[in-house]
Amino acid sequence: MTFLMITGRTVNQGVTVENKTSPEYAAETSTCFMHEFDMMELGLDDGDAVRVTGPCGEVVMRAAASPEVEMGTVFVPYGPYANHIVAAGTRSTGMPDFKSHEVEIEPADEEPKLVHELMEDLGGLAYDR
Amino acid sequence: MTELLVKNACVIDPLRGINGETMDIAIRDGKIVEEVSDAAEVIDARGMLTLPGGVDSHTHICGTKVNFGRYMSPEDMRAGRTPRRGAMHATSGYSVPTTYGNSYRYSVMGYTTLLEGAMAPLEARHTHEEFTYTPLQDTMANTLFDGNWAILEAIRDGDVKRVAAIIAWTLKAVKGFGVKLTNPGGTEAWQWGKNVSCIRDPVPYFEVTPAEIIRSIVEANELLHLPHSVHLHCNNLGTPGNYSCTLGSFGLIPDLNEKRQTLYATHVQFHAYGGSEWKDFCSKSEPIARFVDMRPQIVMDMGQVMFGRTTTMTADGPMEFNLYRLHHEKWSNHDVELETGSGIIPVIYRRKNLVNSIMWAIGLELALLTKSPWQCLLSTDNPNGAPFVKYPEIIGLLMSKRYRDAEFATVHPDTESRVPLPAIERELDWHEIAVMTRAGAARALGIQDLGKGHLAPGADADVAIYPLKIDEVDPSAEYQKVIDAFSRTEYTIKRGRVVARRGECLVHGSNATLWVAPKVSDGYDMGKDPDFIEKFDRYYTVRMSNYPVQEEYVTRNRRIETEAEL
Amino acid sequence: MIVKDAVCPFCGCLCDDIEVEVEEGRVVAVTNACELGTTKFMGEKRMKNPILRVGDEWKDITYDEAVKYAADMLLAAERPLLYGWSGTHGEAQCVGVHMAELIHGVIDNTSSVCHGPSILAIQEVGHPGCTLGVVKNRADLVIYWGSNPIDAHPRHLSRYTRYAEGFFLENAFRDRKVIVVDVRKTESANIADEFIKIRPGGDYAVLSALRAIVQGKADTIPRTVAGVTREQLVRVANLCKSAKFGAVYFGLGLTMTQGKYKNIRNAIELVSELSRHTKFTISAMRGHYNVYGSNEVNTWMTGYPFGIDFSRGIAFYNPGETTAVDILARKECDAALIVGSDPAAHFPRKCLEHLAEIPVVQLDPYPNATTAFCNVQIPVAVTGIDAEGTAYRMDGVPIRTRRVLSSDYLSDEEVLARMYALMQEARER
Repeated sequence: MTFLMITGRTVNQGVTVENKTSPEYAAETSTCFMHEFDMMELGLDDGDAVRVTGPCGEVVMRAAASPEVEMGTVFVPYGPYANHIVAAGTRSTGMPDFKSHEVEIEPADEEPKLVHELMEDLGGLAYDR
Repeated sequence: MTELLVKNACVIDPLRGINGETMDIAIRDGKIVEEVSDAAEVIDARGMLTLPGGVDSHTHICGTKVNFGRYMSPEDMRAGRTPRRGAMHATSGYSVPTTYGNSYRYSVMGYTTLLEGAMAPLEARHTHEEFTYTPLQDTMANTLFDGNWAILEAIRDGDVKRVAAIIAWTLKAVKGFGVKLTNPGGTEAWQWGKNVSCIRDPVPYFEVTPAEIIRSIVEANELLHLPHSVHLHCNNLGTPGNYSCTLGSFGLIPDLNEKRQTLYATHVQFHAYGGSEWKDFCSKSEPIARFVDMRPQIVMDMGQVMFGRTTTMTADGPMEFNLYRLHHEKWSNHDVELETGSGIIPVIYRRKNLVNSIMWAIGLELALLTKSPWQCLLSTDNPNGAPFVKYPEIIGLLMSKRYRDAEFATVHPDTESRVPLPAIERELDWHEIAVMTRAGAARALGIQDLGKGHLAPGADADVAIYPLKIDEVDPSAEYQKVIDAFSRTEYTIKRGRVVARRGECLVHGSNATLWVAPKVSDGYDMGKDPDFIEKFDRYYTVRMSNYPVQEEYVTRNRRIETEAEL
Repeated sequence: MIVKDAVCPFCGCLCDDIEVEVEEGRVVAVTNACELGTTKFMGEKRMKNPILRVGDEWKDITYDEAVKYAADMLLAAERPLLYGWSGTHGEAQCVGVHMAELIHGVIDNTSSVCHGPSILAIQEVGHPGCTLGVVKNRADLVIYWGSNPIDAHPRHLSRYTRYAEGFFLENAFRDRKVIVVDVRKTESANIADEFIKIRPGGDYAVLSALRAIVQGKADTIPRTVAGVTREQLVRVANLCKSAKFGAVYFGLGLTMTQGKYKNIRNAIELVSELSRHTKFTISAMRGHYNVYGSNEVNTWMTGYPFGIDFSRGIAFYNPGETTAVDILARKECDAALIVGSDPAAHFPRKCLEHLAEIPVVQLDPYPNATTAFCNVQIPVAVTGIDAEGTAYRMDGVPIRTRRVLSSDYLSDEEVLARMYALMQEARER
């Protein structure tokens, strides 16, 4: 199914942002908040893994129901998971389209990666795993 | 010990009564001295015009609103840029240059001391940070008190001593130099989107009038024995017919100080307008100049307008909003809690515009009609009337009737019927220019005893040597030579070092800041006053302990202690 | 020991009323701060010493070695990028600008990916704003547009708006209306008097509709605009016009969505329009505690708030070309110095792929996502905890952060000054 992906700050993202190697930060920023009807449609329960595919790649997150999001949109806390699929074009402003990406979401069998695994996939080397 | 000897200088030093005498200037360790040893480095001035370093007694160069002028104007930044070269950092900007841009361009023109015209106390730290990056001048900051709640309340209660005590605490806390009133009462009214029309119009809620604010603060200023007088931007700036408001404000001022004026009225050009609307707008420079001629207690600066693009910026928020509605250019406003405000818009002054042409004439008229140059100093209210790099052209206009006539021929044709300028024959001389650009400014600021504005032994060795010989140039005819010379010194000497030579700045420099700490008795220490503390805690959004500007922000600290009558 | 009136180095609210209790060189309790600030003050697990990546291993190195590595890397680079700066004090930012100028680099700060578009809008139409205390003492109407203070700036509501006392408000909680405009019904929307829910991407249209109504053209408005009914728009426009003092605070919900800086421009023009009727102001909810300071420092030193390119000697500014995401995505820079931010967590993946290809040095107290892309990371003191220096609050008020405990870590300014000194020496040779 196609969704509009919006990213943004949350308290939990903020609380863990100074400790990005923590499992809490990974858990928060890999959460895909969805409308419960959309989840039903995809056959998802809270905590189920989903594959989110954007214009430049895919990433596995966990779905969570939220009364704050509309049907057809998903909300992902600002961080490395969302950015794994966000395009780098800025339309001559310096600012990517962080809040207006169309993504495809489907149930997945794998677990979300850890932050350092995402970084290593892109050529980095984890320090404090 | 470092020594420098400037030989064969043609010196005009008005504060010492020296007018065009060829002499040597001896300098040791940053100060003027009687004589130096044979080991001193020698500069041969070869008879060139040599003046004390320039003092700008009203300019906007550093702080929140100046920086916002840059921030919102990349087009202005692009209009003047230089790369890093030698000791000079990169610069940007034309009407609101970066701090290095200001410092280098002033230095090349021979200026060594600058007064920032308006600093909101809450944001003082910002002004001081920028001073640090204005390395080739010594600086001081006029501190805004026009809408200060604690002061408005004390005035309402008729307690001038409390007014003085609040000023004392604030100046010391924010390392301010002088007391600035910008549209007194108007900036507070503007936080409701309102304004005061003139000096008898009460401020909403506080129910005090601008006249009461001006009178009380002038008295308080003298109780504190501050070096500078109250520095006033009158109410009603920029509106037709405002000259009567200006005269009314001037009329409030008694003569309270024998060493200097009691009121410094700034950018008076913007306050010398006749007419009842834009259609019959005209010059009222004559009544203003006549009034000032009769009152030694008043000194003003011109606020000259020059044609071209610039940026207007002032604490006078409501005035900027009115300008915005006239020009429809971009508009910024920044109100500051419990204190004051500010506004910014870019403007273009055009020769083809009648009002702009009249404004241009009024500034010149004020300087030419006021008898004593000590009472009308040269300024553009940089950058409001024009960027300071236009000063040499203004000097040219003041010294040459021929140049004025040539310029007048290019302005709006109806200007002639609205201004007295074409009939004024006076041409200022070198001595008068030296008064208007350094000696008079230093005396008005009260810093001549601190070694500014003159070259007597003991003074700061701030010297400007211009590539021009006054006995060989007729300024009336050869005004272009005058402009060229005042645009670029042969040498600018700051604190005994050559800092600029023929347009290049040669050293990194290091700024000194002059600020005032009035000494008051314990009973008048607002830091211990329960009512003051309680209101501070409740209504400011910064804690009182985090408000004062720490020593770290002042590179070279020139603290001036005064004995207050409190 | 208890340190009073400490300054919180987390978000742009820059709360300066924090009490921090320190025992044996550690923060043991924090009073007055929100959850975000408290967590930062209590932060543990700092990196102990500089590290160098050698192949697939990390090796401990000395500060001297790390500083030398950084200086050599920057001197050898043809197009170095100096990025971050929002998470450090102004004094360090100043050294960064001098450094960029010396090596003809590009210096950009995190505002290019937060409120850069707001700055572009301000450069078009200006900015009628005020300090936070003006709103606290006067505003009877506050609008949060595309911002969610409960999550991002938790004490904004209690210090300055919803729950704050105000001099001119008899009963501030009752007399002050709060409107939230968002595409999601956030926590902040729950405490508002009125919530306007906009269809994603519809902010520009809604702002235009409000401007039209304020100008007296309500009859031109269709029944709904981006999901908002005409009735609600008219009601809100009237609330704005009848307020004595209105304040708009906008967030990334406007800068990051479709339209970007044009949304902000429209919001500012709405406020300028309302200023003809009553008092109205607008301000950005700045994120990092000193992102605004970074804009201020860059502006007085170079003329521009962010995205400054010194490659031609002069300061050159062209967002979209001279901004970090673009420079990385175009694979333009050949070395990067990162200070006080974590681009690997916040930039699109394409940027990270390039970071992996080039030498990178980072100054940061903690291991973070960017660490994985570093050749060298240099741990530094945390401004506001074991280093002090200037920060600018979201409204431009500068405050000196306090040092609440001492440590052996050098501050960002000290490390950068050492690098700069080496670089100057090399360039003068």
